[in-house]
Amino acid sequence: QSKIKWRMQTYAGSALGEHVIKPAIDTFNKIAGDQMEIELFYADQLVPTGELFQALQRGTIDAVQSDDDSMASPTEVTVFGGYFPFGSRYSLDVPVLFNQYGLKEIWDEEYAAVGVKHISAGAWDPCHFATKDPINSLADLKGKRIFTFPTAGRFLSQFGVVPVTLPWEDIETAVQTGELDGIAWSGITEDYTVGWADVTNYFLTNNISGAWIGHFFANMDRWNELPDNLKELLTVCMEQSHYYRQWWYWGGESDLRVNGDKLKLTTIPDEEWATVEDAAVKFWDEIAAESPTKAKVVEIFRKYNDDMKKAGRPYRYS
Amino acid sequence: MSFARTYIRSVDAMNYRIGRVMMYGIFVMGGILLWSSISKTFFNPSLWTLEMAQFAMVTYYILGGPYSIQIGANVRMDLFYGEWSDHRKAQIDAITVLMLIFYLGVLLYGALGSMAYSLGHYKNVPFQFYWGLLTGAEEIGRLEHSATAWRPVIWPIKLIMCFGFFLMLLQAISELLKDLIRIKGGTV
Amino acid sequence: MSQEMIAIFMFSSMMLMLFTGQRVFGAIGAIGAIAAIALWGVGGSDIPFSSAMKVMKWYPLLTLPMFIFMGYVLSESKIADDLYKMFHVWMGPVRGGLAIGTIGLMVLISAMNGLSVAGMAIGATVALPELIKRGYDKRMVTGVIQAGSSLGILVPPSVVLVLYAMIARQPVGQLWLAGILPGLMMAAMFMIYIYIRCRIQPELGPALPEADRDISRSEKFKLLRAGLLPLFIFAAMMVPFVNGWTSLVESSAVGAATAFLAAVVKKRMTRAVFEVSVRQTLAISCMFMWIILAALGFGAVFDGLGAVNAIDGLFTEQLELNPWMILILMQLSFLIMGTFLDDTAMLVIVAPLYVPLVDALGFDLIWYGVLYTITTQIAYMTPPFGYNLFLMRAMAPPDITLKDIYASITPFVLVMLFALILVMLFPQIAMWLPNYVYGK
Ligand code: NA
Ligand code: NA
Repeated sequence: QSKIKWRMQTYAGSALGEHVIKPAIDTFNKIAGDQMEIELFYADQLVPTGELFQALQRGTIDAVQSDDDSMASPTEVTVFGGYFPFGSRYSLDVPVLFNQYGLKEIWDEEYAAVGVKHISAGAWDPCHFATKDPINSLADLKGKRIFTFPTAGRFLSQFGVVPVTLPWEDIETAVQTGELDGIAWSGITEDYTVGWADVTNYFLTNNISGAWIGHFFANMDRWNELPDNLKELLTVCMEQSHYYRQWWYWGGESDLRVNGDKLKLTTIPDEEWATVEDAAVKFWDEIAAESPTKAKVVEIFRKYNDDMKKAGRPYRYS
Repeated sequence: MSFARTYIRSVDAMNYRIGRVMMYGIFVMGGILLWSSISKTFFNPSLWTLEMAQFAMVTYYILGGPYSIQIGANVRMDLFYGEWSDHRKAQIDAITVLMLIFYLGVLLYGALGSMAYSLGHYKNVPFQFYWGLLTGAEEIGRLEHSATAWRPVIWPIKLIMCFGFFLMLLQAISELLKDLIRIKGGTV
Repeated sequence: MSQEMIAIFMFSSMMLMLFTGQRVFGAIGAIGAIAAIALWGVGGSDIPFSSAMKVMKWYPLLTLPMFIFMGYVLSESKIADDLYKMFHVWMGPVRGGLAIGTIGLMVLISAMNGLSVAGMAIGATVALPELIKRGYDKRMVTGVIQAGSSLGILVPPSVVLVLYAMIARQPVGQLWLAGILPGLMMAAMFMIYIYIRCRIQPELGPALPEADRDISRSEKFKLLRAGLLPLFIFAAMMVPFVNGWTSLVESSAVGAATAFLAAVVKKRMTRAVFEVSVRQTLAISCMFMWIILAALGFGAVFDGLGAVNAIDGLFTEQLELNPWMILILMQLSFLIMGTFLDDTAMLVIVAPLYVPLVDALGFDLIWYGVLYTITTQIAYMTPPFGYNLFLMRAMAPPDITLKDIYASITPFVLVMLFALILVMLFPQIAMWLPNYVYGK
């Protein structure tokens, strides 16, 4: 029997991919030995990110790592991928939402309907602004051209942010050439890892979401062709990558805020930032009104956040 | 040969006219980009300028492509080609232009698949889907939107690309017919 | 098929197709498409098209039609004529002075456009007939124009550096600044060469006769004003860009608009000039874009089939070379490929293979961008395949033969190689300015 070969493309460029995906794929290849090999490709390497979903569905690419939002999945759950404003506070919220509050089933169903296997969801970092000029109040956001996720952009535009979407690998250059004033795409760990901290000066400590939600997907036919042991191995390696990211980001965020020397921290006072949190409540209602599936997901987010509030410290401090 | 000549005349004329219009696309792109810098300096930056300029650029070079073939703008490596007689050039071209036609066919096939996707077809049988649209057996599903805050639907630009690749294909076939006529000793 | 075999198969069949003389984009695109369908597996046939979406998303490509248009407006409207007159009068009395002045003219032209085409056209139509009339050696003259016009892609704005920036994911602003000093240095080296050569062989470039120099002092200073126009166009584009007021693509539109307005104000924008500029912009843009489209498709297939690994493996593992040896080998291979491969194709197919390797070897990618551009300049003018050679052949009067053109470039290519070595040995020549301006 010949070796099974897969091509996987990630949303991330190679600097970030070094942490968010490569260790897991290396592990998989080592264990799978002569049975299977996954070759990893980075952002836009084989197909542009905008075409990623179609490529996955048609089998041009066998597996993908991305959030739903950036790859514009044609599903009802796309708006919740990436950063759903104020959907979560900590990175541990994500696996709980998926495994204990029922999001996993909804995602599986939605993707199976369009011919794609949803392998698993994981948590990444919180969403902060890194900008050339300091942000000390909401007024400072006005007119800033910011690279961010489509859904986050839609939400932030009510505060005067001008959301811009460009190929991921072009962001650093675009900040330098003036196409962008800043980035609201990650926490401080990524800002340092991928080089954005070199082209921006300020980091806003307020965030619009505590954790990015990303996924592993596979082409349904390719997945079904795998022997059971490889399906299991693939799942385990993806879970392992979720674990790696949990500590890599959590530790990185605090360390770079305290010890990093490339970005100055600024903060919008809590009272003022409450405006943004209130706007998110309205935004959730808008999204829920769009379809029954979206309403169901919003309901889960609501229930979860209520429970966390009731549970009190250390789950929520206010 | 009269069919060939009619084909050449009509395809070339159509592509010529389209190309002559596309030519002025440079001012559309320039205008959008200038508006972008003006709006950024004096008001709030516009959401749509960069993406609109990209759409304009794609329209410009894909629909302008056939005309650029007509005016011989596409470079060839003429190390040997340059030394050959016109007859020899036509002979070789008549064979190698089939490769060009093949390439354009693959582009068009991919574009049609991608456009079907942008109209909400997820089953990988684009031709059946288009046929179904005509007969009413299929309907347009979820429209693909660009993953940007502006979120324009994407099918119009994919339609333009399909149309442009089709025109290129027509032009390449016209070039093939011209070569065949030249091989037979005719003039075009 | 092994990765090595795929690499060899794809490269050699592409070369073969190119040798048949079919349009470059068709040759490259077809081989990419065939490999995709034959070797990729399910869904491979979508790759050539997905490159079209990649081209759309590569926003810096928008600068391409803008700079091309700008170049045509400058050359067709002949607003550079006054510039030539300025150099003619000021430099004429020196032996070889008109040729030295022509290099100066080329530096100013290159500050106003992003390709070498405009410099070539202006040089061939304005400077060349004048120089021949004054008894300059025709080989000297065609060499000067070809070498001088190649500065267009090293001195900002530069389309080649924009394309390189996209591939290497490096900031265009820094690359452009990095090109300035090496560009000026190379111009100075050309001038020194001409000066010394004409000292030794005065018959190559005689000084202007007394009668032609009979121009009053005030008249002479008046002519200097011609030099203000390029400075103005350069500043209108670069000042807002470097200060971050306009983005790269917006700046290119500002530059094109400024050149267009300058031509209108100087009453040079006639119907015919307008027609040629607009039509040729479409023609050249289409040529570039279709090659980029085809080459991106070829590149993605090449990459996805693992052929890139084969190339990396060859350089780093099998040959066991040290970083500098690999770098020199790469430059040599560019020069060799440049003698028969189309330059844009070379940029879009070969540069993506080399750039990650250069990065992995620990070299600075901004600096390498300058090395790459100088190499490209040389490739532009080394026979048998090069844009500058083609253009020169098309534009030169019939009594200048292809043999003259080929022969004329030899000394200039040597000067450029010398410049290349200098920039390799002393990276500060390229890096000082961007570090100074962008140093944080
Ligand atoms: Na230039
Ligand atoms: Na060459």
